[in-house]
Formats: sequence, C-alpha cells, structure tokens
Amino acid sequence: MNADDIQIKMAQGAKPGEGGQLPGHKVNQWIAKVRHSTPGVGLISPPPHHDIYSIEDLAQLIHDLKNVNPKARISVKLVSEVGVGTVAAGVAKAHADHVTIAGYDGGTGASPLTSIKHAGSPWEIGLAETFQTLVLNKLRDRITVQVDGGMRTGRDVVIGALLGADEFGFATAPLIVEGCIMMRKCHLNTCPVGVATQDEELRKRFTGKPEHVVNYFFFVAEEIRQLMAQLGFRKFDEMIGRMDKLDMRKAINHWKAKGLDFSRILHMPAIAEGEKVYQCKEQDHGLDQALDNKLIEQAAPALERAEAVKFESPVCNINRTVGAMLSGRVAEKYGHEGLPDDTIHIKFQGVAGQSFGTWVAHGVTLELEGEGNDYVGKGLSGGKLIVYPPKDCPITPEENIIVGNTVLYGAIGGECYFRGVAGERFAVRNSGATAVVEGVGDHGCEYMTGGVVAVLGETGRNFAAGMSGGVAYVLDEKGDFRDRCNLAMVELEPIKEEADALEELDHQGGDLETHGKVDISSDMTRFDAQRLKAMIEKHAQHTDSSVAKNILANWESCLPKFVKVMPVDYRRALEEMQQAQMAELPAAANN
Amino acid sequence: MGKATGFMEYAREDRGYRPVEERLKHYQEFVVPLSDDALKTQGARCMDCGIPFCHQGCPVNNIIPDWNDLVWKGEWRRAIDILHSTNNFPEFTGRICPAPCQESCTLNLTDEPVTIKTIECAIIDKAFENGWVKPQPAEHKTGKKVAIVGSGPAGMAAAQQLARVGHDVTLYEKNDRVGGLLRYGIPDFKMEKNIIDRRMEQMAAEGVVFKTNAHIGKDIPARQLLDEFDAVLLTGGAEQSRDLPVPGRDLKGVYYAMEFLPQSNRRVAGDSIPESDAILATGKHVIVIGGGDTGSDCIGTSNRHGAASVTQLEILPKPPEKEDKGLTWPEWPTKMRTSSSHEEGCERMWSVATKEILGDGTKVTAIKCVKVEWNKDDKGAWQMSEVAGSEFELKADLVFLAMGFVHPVHEGMLDELGLERDGRGNVKGSTEGSDAYRTSMDKVFAAGDMRRGQSLVVWAIREGRQAARAVDEFLMGSSELPR
Repeated sequence: MNADDIQIKMAQGAKPGEGGQLPGHKVNQWIAKVRHSTPGVGLISPPPHHDIYSIEDLAQLIHDLKNVNPKARISVKLVSEVGVGTVAAGVAKAHADHVTIAGYDGGTGASPLTSIKHAGSPWEIGLAETFQTLVLNKLRDRITVQVDGGMRTGRDVVIGALLGADEFGFATAPLIVEGCIMMRKCHLNTCPVGVATQDEELRKRFTGKPEHVVNYFFFVAEEIRQLMAQLGFRKFDEMIGRMDKLDMRKAINHWKAKGLDFSRILHMPAIAEGEKVYQCKEQDHGLDQALDNKLIEQAAPALERAEAVKFESPVCNINRTVGAMLSGRVAEKYGHEGLPDDTIHIKFQGVAGQSFGTWVAHGVTLELEGEGNDYVGKGLSGGKLIVYPPKDCPITPEENIIVGNTVLYGAIGGECYFRGVAGERFAVRNSGATAVVEGVGDHGCEYMTGGVVAVLGETGRNFAAGMSGGVAYVLDEKGDFRDRCNLAMVELEPIKEEADALEELDHQGGDLETHGKVDISSDMTRFDAQRLKAMIEKHAQHTDSSVAKNILANWESCLPKFVKVMPVDYRRALEEMQQAQMAELPAAANN
Repeated sequence: MGKATGFMEYAREDRGYRPVEERLKHYQEFVVPLSDDALKTQGARCMDCGIPFCHQGCPVNNIIPDWNDLVWKGEWRRAIDILHSTNNFPEFTGRICPAPCQESCTLNLTDEPVTIKTIECAIIDKAFENGWVKPQPAEHKTGKKVAIVGSGPAGMAAAQQLARVGHDVTLYEKNDRVGGLLRYGIPDFKMEKNIIDRRMEQMAAEGVVFKTNAHIGKDIPARQLLDEFDAVLLTGGAEQSRDLPVPGRDLKGVYYAMEFLPQSNRRVAGDSIPESDAILATGKHVIVIGGGDTGSDCIGTSNRHGAASVTQLEILPKPPEKEDKGLTWPEWPTKMRTSSSHEEGCERMWSVATKEILGDGTKVTAIKCVKVEWNKDDKGAWQMSEVAGSEFELKADLVFLAMGFVHPVHEGMLDELGLERDGRGNVKGSTEGSDAYRTSMDKVFAAGDMRRGQSLVVWAIREGRQAARAVDEFLMGSSELPR
C-alpha cells in the first residue's frame, strides 16, 4: 500500500516476447521468500500473461489494481513495435493512468546477447505511433506517456518530448553514474563494483552516492533547458508532440541510410482546436461506484479496532473486484499479516462480477452463495473464499461451473472452497494458496510454484504444465488423469496412508517453505492423506458439499483413487532442505 | 569463460626482481618469472568483463581476456595464437611495455589489476621454448616491392605483416644492427638483445631482407627507393632529442641520453668503443635531467657502470602516490611510479629546473638549479615560475639530457623528400580512412614515432601493423590484414 505507481509489464523493450528464467541454484532463501517460492527450484516467467488474453482482460487488471490501491497510478508497460499505438489507445480506454513505451536500447547486463542484439525496435518509432494514435482518438490528455530504452542525455529527453512523451525512464545511465561499468555480470553475483551483487565483500566496493545521481540529472535538466531555449519553448508541456520541430539529418553517409523515410514518424496528427496533447486530466476509474465502499463502512470496527464483524451483502455482476479495496485497507493498517482469521466475515448472495475476492487479505473471509465470474481469488493474499450454489438451486453442483476462468491466478496465500467446477487455468501461478474444487477446465495448476490444490472431480487437459512447486491431489475416478496431465515437470504418485501422527513430527517440518499458510504440516513430501482429508473436511464444513461428504464417508475406498501431482524439482529441493535440517538438528540439540 | 569468482579467491601476484646488489653486477634481465601454477591462478583472476576495457587500454587491442582464460586452462598453444593475432612481438611488450592494459583493467579500480603483462610474456616465452613460433611465409608472392626505412618496432611489425601477405620487403637500418630503440635505446638489463635476434630469424625466413648500415638520405638517396620500390614506408622514429639551451651546454661531460645508452648497449654486445669516445659513469657523480623512462635507463646503466652518485631531476611537480580512480580509470593515470632502476639507487628531485651547467672551462663540474612552482593562469593553463632565492648547485661529473624527443630528425631523408609535417614537426599522416598512414607524397607512407611523435613500443607495433594494411591496400586494392 506504499506504491506510488503499479506497473503491468506486458513486455520489456530489450527482449519483447521473451520471458525469463531464474535457475534453481540462484533461488536462495531470500529470493524464494520474495517470490513466494521454494529455495532451489527454478523460477519460470513465461512470456504470456495467463490472465491477459485481450484488452478487456488488461482493463480488468487495471481496475483491480486501482481498487486495491486507489492512491497509486496504474501503469502499463508496452514495447515499441508496429501496432503499439492501437494497444496504447486500448490501454488509455482501459483507464490506465500511465503507459510506458519501451525501446530496445536498454536492457540489463543479464540479458542474453541474442536478445540485446536482435530483438526490439527503437523507442522513437513506438512513441510516435502511440502519440499519433492517442491524439487521433482524443485520448492523449488523460494518460501519461512515458518512454524509456537507453535514455542518456537531455537531447534524448527533448526528442522524446517532441515525439509526444510526458515522462522519461532512465536506468543504465544513472547506474553508470553510481559506478556501474557494464561488466554484464549482474547474473553471476560477481559485480566487481558492487552494484549488482549480494556479496557483502563486493558491496563494499560500491562507491556511488545519491549526490552523483542528483548531479547527473541536473546536467540532463540543464541540457534540456538549453535545447528548449534554442527551440523557443517556455514550458515542457508546450514541447510535447511538436514533431514539426524535428528533422532528419541527411548527412549520414551509410548505405543503410539511403532508404530511410522518417515522414511517418515525424507526421503531426491533426489536433482539434483547444485540445491538449499532454496529460492534464485524471482517468475516471469509477471507484466511487464500487461495492467495497459500503463494505469498508460496515467493516469499520474491524478496520479500526480489529474487532470481528460479520454481515451480509447482496452482490450482482456489475460489482467488479469485490473485496479488493477492503483488503487494501486491511493491508494498509495491518500489513501483509492482516487480521486474525475470519475477523471480517461477509456473506454475499447473488452473482459476483469479475475478480471477486481479488487480493483478499488475511483475516477476511468472503462467502458467496451464488456463483463467481472470472478471476475469483486473483492474487489471493491470505484471505478465505467460499463459493457454493444457492441452497435452493436445482443444479448438481459438481457438474456445473461455479467460478469462471483464471481463478486463483498468482495467489500467494489463503484458502478457497468452491462447491462446483472451475473454468480454465485454475490456480495458474499459484504460489501458496490452498484450494478445494470439484473439477477444473484446461491448464489447471499451470506454472504453479506453491500451495496445495485438491480437485475432487475431472480436470481438463494440460494439467500441471510448467508446475514447479506445490502439490495437487486429483480424484481420478476414471483412471485417465495421466492422459490429461502434462508430465514434463511433474510425477504422478499414489497417496499413501501414513501411520505417523502429524503432531509428533511437526517440529521436524520446520520452516521448510518460506511461504505457506498450509495449516497442516508443511512437509509436502509426506502426510498427504492426512492433509487431503483435512482439506476435504473443511470443504464439506464450509460448502456442505455432497461430493466431499461422500468421499469422507468412503475414505478407505476413495483414497486409492486420488493421484498426487508432485513437481520433480520441488521434491528434490524439499528433500535437500530436509537433509540439511536433519544435519543441523544434533548440532542445535548440543547447544 | 574465465573463472567468475577467481578475482575474489586469488590474490594478485606478479613477477619479482633479483636483489639489487646481485643485478647491478651484470646487464642481464633480472625479472624472476612466475611458476606455471602461479600464472594459471593469475589468469583465473581475469573476470571476462562484459566491456573489456583492457581491449581499448592496450594500443594493439590485445584480446586479453581470451588468453588469460586459456592460460588458466593450461592451453598455452592456443593462447599464443590468439596473442599473436593482435601483436607481432609480445616478447618485447611483455618485457618493456608500461602496460596501459593493466591500468584499464577493471580490477585496477581496487589496485589489483590482472598481471596481464606477466601472462603475456609467459605465453610468448613458452611458445619460443616449445618451438611454436615458426615462420609463416606467404603462400603466394605478389611481386610487389616495399621498402621500409627504420627497423624499430614499427618497421619490424610492418615488415612482418607485409612479408606474410607476399610482398618483397626490404627493411633498411642506418645502424649496424636491426631493432632501432629496442636495440640501442633500451638497456640489456630490461630486454636482452637475443630476443630481437630470434624474432629476426623468423622474419628472415618469411622473406624480409634486412639491410643494415644503410642510412637513407645519407648513404642512399631517398629518391632511389621511390624508383626501385612500389611503396615506401617510413618508420624512422622520433630521434631528435630535446636540448637544454643553458650556459655550459657545450662542456665535456654533458650528453644526450641517446649518446650514452646506445654506446653502453654496444659495449654489452661486445663492440669495442674507442677510449676517446667512451662515456663511462664509473666513479662519477651523475645528473640525469628528465624524469621519464629514458632517464630511468640512464640511472640503471650508470649504476651498473659504478657511478658515485646518481641524481634525477624532473621539472614537473611530484605526482600523487595514488591516482583518483573515479577521475582517471580506465585511462593512464599520472602518479608516482618507481622503476626498477630507481630502486637500484638514485636521488629523485621534482619541480627543479636547470639554470646553468658549470665547469672548469672544458669539463662539467656542477649544475646550477632552481626550484620551480606550477600555477594555473587566468585561462587555466599551467604556468611555471621560479621560486626566488631557491637556487642551488649539484656536483656533477656527467650530465645526461633525457627530456624526451621533439620530433623525427628532419635533416636528410625527410628534408630530401620534402614531406608535409604536422604542427609538432612529425610527418603528417592520419590513421583512419582511405588516406591512413599516407604522407603528402604518393606511395610514401609513414608510421610509428616518425608519424605520431615519441611514444611507446606498443604504439609503434600498432602503427606498423595498421600501416602494413594501408600499404597492402594501396598495392593490391584491398587487404585482409587486420587493422
């Protein structure tokens, strides 16, 4: 809740269309904690965003973010390429406060050479197109346009402004001011000037001072002032979008320069009388209509004094992002720890709009009698979600959709109980939430890095693709789950009944995972049966699920039908940590 | 490539010197090489920088991280191939280069640069030891004839490059032996002269014809070369020493460093020097005027002669012990440097100007000096002024003038050809573009100190190599020689 800006990075200029990977050996305790993953397990950042397949999806995410932190500007980072103008116009219509056009000249020292040399395009091209499209659609005055990608000098800034940018991103140049010498060793932890390293010894070599950066920007500003004076501009705003002040230098004697035609980049779009072509209006996010305003009022005792509150509220599908603003308030006051379990318990009735229960904080329980839409529990941050059909509804819950697509996307903690079937991409990129559901669509648990998912019914295809952490239990009634599971990174195994009582071993489980609000033992390599049973019991208790009750009633015969989906690397990392801990135990005892 | 953490694990270790009292007794090299294991470890310290500043720091753009890595891996054979790809004579630079590469090394930010020069020297010494340095004669002869005037490092590098692409190269040298300043400027204790001889053997096998005792512009008219050769490359160095026009300059006992050092080298080489011409410092009080490398060589040589005392005077102020890295790195910094010759015994004085050389009518007996100070004038330019009343005298039997070289010798070849000169009196020529290394006269090229003024051996090698390419391009229309 301290962010001034929140940026949705659709891609980065130096390597558009490429994702990133952090190999397992670099994921140490600290990184794992920050990323809500497991030390020693590689982190995959695939190029696509599995919650954004259209401009509407992006608009929804912008709205969600604005809800959770209304004080922050919501920014979308796009890459300079042909057609970026259309996307930027969409982003402006989607009420982003800010759009960044990234060129290819930047890039970190850790980017692969192939990306640095052969991907992306100059920011000038993307910026010109963005500006022209925004102006044509009369959108320019309500969105801030930032440009970055190898900005170095005041001249770069002035050219950027003339091509239509309000703001400018500098990264490499200030780094060099602080002492970076472009060693391109950022990924090896051996930065000899102590800029990009966690090594304490090397960090001592860091000689940068804030004053150096201040100085640098003074020089940049001074150059901008000089150029502005030469061009005859008194205010920076006057300069924005004045392509007519730019010309192409024809003197460059190079065969590749022969066919260059900058007329489209330097084209001035027609600007209507009185229209402003720099950011001067705020976006209307429509937050005043959010249901959460009422919820926050009603939950005031909890927010102010941490007193438990329980109330009911109707909900309908125009109520988007229910619970996010409320959770923002919880986080603002109580931090990520949130409130004690169920301090704020709200029961909704009706059909929730998109993003129900997004980023719900710890201590907030949202119970929905009705049905959810897409993005239920997106980024769930410790709260509890319970969704079940109305008691009087005649449908068979386990055969019908209860929540939409992309449920629990990027959740980092909390619990969910869905009586019914979820749509596609259930629990994608989940890194800590526990969920029980009675069936999922395609791509369930894709890129999951933590948490536990129990599916008490059928799954779609491509289950567990890229899953590198956490576990899933799937009730495989027909015995064909293996065909629909992506086995590239996971193994399937039966669930063994273990005699050991959990409590006895609890002290050994320790803090194996740095995340994890799993209230059973955190040792994901064992105690599966107990863990699963506890989850199903809770599911039955919260949702009155007949499937759950049936399984519990026939536990002995149902258990063999469950399949445990275990990521290979995850198990290896957990076992290594266990061994390390066991080795430490005697030493600790002696002390 | 490289050992990522090597620089953190291993301390810097460089070659040492034999003890002073031992090395003063002879004129041989006294550097103690590192063991192979130590060299490997030192190679591992190279961190394979993303932007290898050493590439630019080294005038011949040696691909330093690559061979550091190979030495670490023990692949000496591949290391010499890569080293030779940018530097014809690493055995020279590995001994006498001031190693600007090490100043630009990323690890020099913390004063622990990779021992690049030591590794370079080890690679080439090992290559000679193992017979890996073989002649590389051209596969095809072009039939073009090139004359190169001046057999210093620039001329040698150009000759080798041109011979290897098939030209008939004749290398003219006014002295009796090839090598220029390498032979007669640099004392044997810094570089033994058989090192030049073994390289000459390789070059001769590659087809280079050496013509010594052939002073172009004196023994042979320069015009004659233009008639006989398709191209002429002038690499005669910048041999005009800076003079000290003070009263008493004509006294006996006042010499240019370049009168003293060549004679000493000749003596070491076994030549007999007539008694009347001999310049010997034995038992004498020696004053060396000039605080540079030539001055150092005079000190080392004087001490080996057995001088009674050696004093070195420098007109500039004493430089700081340590440079401001943020300001200088990766460039060559001005800082206090102490050469092996300084260690062997001498007094060093800074901010001292010579007013007069005093004598008994024929021979020098003392010099009269004055303290000076340096201040910036209104325009920010440094101005020297004498400190009133600070005059003092120093006892002197020998005075060596080692104050640098102003430009090439104009009398003779250059005057005869009438080549255009730059503002400093060097032969005018650029290093880039289609006119690179060309003089104002058709088919005449110039490189090395003759074109750029006094400089380092390594710069001479660079210019020689690049000029060779320019000559090859001129003769053949295109060239595959590196630039």
